[in-house]
Amino acid sequence: MTAARARAWVLWLLLFALATVAMRLVRSNIDQAHAVLAYLLIVLGGSVAGGRPLGISLAGMATLAINYFFQAPLDTLSVAKPPDGLVLLAFLATAVTTTQLLALARSEAEEARRRADEVTRLAYLGSETLNAGTAEAALGAIARVIRDELRVDTCLIRRLVDGRKEVVASAGAAPRARDVSRLEIPLTGHDVELGALELQHPTPIAVDEPQRRFLDALGYYAALGLERMQLAAEAAHADALREADRMKDILLASVSHDLRTPLTTIKAMAQDGALRGDENSAIIEEQADRLSRLVSDLLDLSRMKGGTLHLSPELNAAEDVIGAVARQFAGTTSGARLVTAVDLSQPALFGYFDFVHTLRILGNLVENALRYAPADTPVELGVTTAGEMLAFTVADRGPGVPAPEVERIFEPFHRSPGARNDGGAGLGLSIARRLAEEQGGDVRYAPRAGGGSVFTLLLPACDPQAEEIA
Amino acid sequence: MTLTESPATPAAAPRARTVLVIDDEIQIRRAVRNALRDMADDVLEAASGQEGIDLAASAMPDVIVLDLGLPDMAGADVCREVRRWGTMPIVVLSARHAEQEKVSLLNLGADDYVTKPFSTLEFGARVRAQLRRYQSLAGPAQGAVVTARGLTIDLVRRRVSRGQGAIHLTPIEWDILRTLVTAAGRTLTHQQIFDAVWGRVFGNPQQYLRVHITNLRRKIESDPSRPQLVVTEPGVGYRFEPEE
Repeated sequence: MTAARARAWVLWLLLFALATVAMRLVRSNIDQAHAVLAYLLIVLGGSVAGGRPLGISLAGMATLAINYFFQAPLDTLSVAKPPDGLVLLAFLATAVTTTQLLALARSEAEEARRRADEVTRLAYLGSETLNAGTAEAALGAIARVIRDELRVDTCLIRRLVDGRKEVVASAGAAPRARDVSRLEIPLTGHDVELGALELQHPTPIAVDEPQRRFLDALGYYAALGLERMQLAAEAAHADALREADRMKDILLASVSHDLRTPLTTIKAMAQDGALRGDENSAIIEEQADRLSRLVSDLLDLSRMKGGTLHLSPELNAAEDVIGAVARQFAGTTSGARLVTAVDLSQPALFGYFDFVHTLRILGNLVENALRYAPADTPVELGVTTAGEMLAFTVADRGPGVPAPEVERIFEPFHRSPGARNDGGAGLGLSIARRLAEEQGGDVRYAPRAGGGSVFTLLLPACDPQAEEIA
Repeated sequence: MTLTESPATPAAAPRARTVLVIDDEIQIRRAVRNALRDMADDVLEAASGQEGIDLAASAMPDVIVLDLGLPDMAGADVCREVRRWGTMPIVVLSARHAEQEKVSLLNLGADDYVTKPFSTLEFGARVRAQLRRYQSLAGPAQGAVVTARGLTIDLVRRRVSRGQGAIHLTPIEWDILRTLVTAAGRTLTHQQIFDAVWGRVFGNPQQYLRVHITNLRRKIESDPSRPQLVVTEPGVGYRFEPEE
């Protein structure tokens, strides 16, 4: 019992005695109702000041005092008339009930204050831990707070990294592998497991309800800390990747410039010689073109692998890109064999694709077809729709592709057995397919009826009529 | 701009008094000099952007060939500077994968570009086309009827015909054709054509330029799948090619 409680008992018992003596002295002038009301006040005051035990004690004593001193027959504990018994009963019931209600209200107020204190403390701890300079420092602070609060030997926070849980913060005694009782609480953030909180103590760890709430709250902070660590790690990784990308871009740009400048000169000089009828110069020019294509292919492939390829898909007409392919091959000797087939009786077909990259895809497919098809056969370039897709077809009368080779022809540097070594590095088809895939399309091979190959480029179709034309 | 291209007098092979080559690589300058020797009296060389601007201002060449990979300044800045006082054609030498760069240079006033490594024949033809265009701009107006590959375009009466057959164009198709024809031989970016035809229209009908070009070609080209008059510069824009 606290000193305040003891003082309350002494004070209110004294008041009770004084009131009893005073009322006894003026007994002839007062009614028992006056005594009842006076005692009720004392019971109420006593329960407020001293709590339920004092209230109930006072109620009991007051009941006896009313009966003894103020009810006829006076100065005895007997009840003569039934209404007097009712008065006593009513007094006792009222006094006890109010005492109980007061006590209840008091304990609720106390509980509320305790909860408020708890919340304030958690908020303070939360801001304390989250304000720590680094996520690691915050987790260290959380571990210390938990250890101190729960009075356990050790508190560990583990972070899930690549399937393993690594200790990122600990407080207290060195963690032990055995002879210790543990309590593990998983830490999750946005429904993803981030790690775990582990308590270790030589004796079994019991956690009561407030402690559980405390652990839950701090566990939440710890999860936030782990998330922060993860974000920081990802940001650092992204920075490194960006830097690597930047270096790659610089390297590509400089390689591309440094190779292209001599190639430009060689080609120009050789063409000059070839125009004057020098056969050797013509061969040099041809080889310079070949080298230039190879450089472009390698740069493209590395751009695609590095993810630095820039796509700008737009509404484009299928026949526009077919015309551009035809124009690209118009100057070459083999280009005369390219036949374009566009059905002009039908409305023009449109798609949503990157014009430059699509031109490159079709250019590679046509070049491939011209290389493998016999020199006296045409290569046909056309377009149709296939459901939601545009289907560009490049058909030749070449030897076709044997079934086991079909998927391998799209691998970089693949060359069909027996292929003529006349300029391709085996990159054309793989670049074509990758560029198509980047645009939500594909390049497919099928044998052609009557012999030969059909390569189909699929790209998303688009109907400009469906939208309003300005 | 009211350019007129004379169909009556087949343009004599145009010659330049002076060509200026701005390139930091001596070998490329030499290749350009070789490619142009038949059409220029004098080829001046500048190894940096600043030197090029100074030389262009003092010599006022008929054509400028500008490489984009200059060590001292961006090609765009050279182009912008020259355009402050000069109207001579600027032909840009650029690398592949630089469509955006080409577009921004054309928008800044460059007239055409050639991708490295280039064919000297193709390069020569492009420079010649620019010279012809520039000289016809300077010369007296010779009528407002343009013919090319059997197509007759009357810019004043707004009539297009092939042989005896009149071709009906929608107003937008006509505006596109007129824009391209009056800049014949010059690559216009999508943006330039759009600005000329639509002006300041809100919304984004720019992508429909492709739709209108497709419709236009189906009306004026003899083989729309292999256009000879309105050719596509991939990723950059379109060009009207007058008959050589």
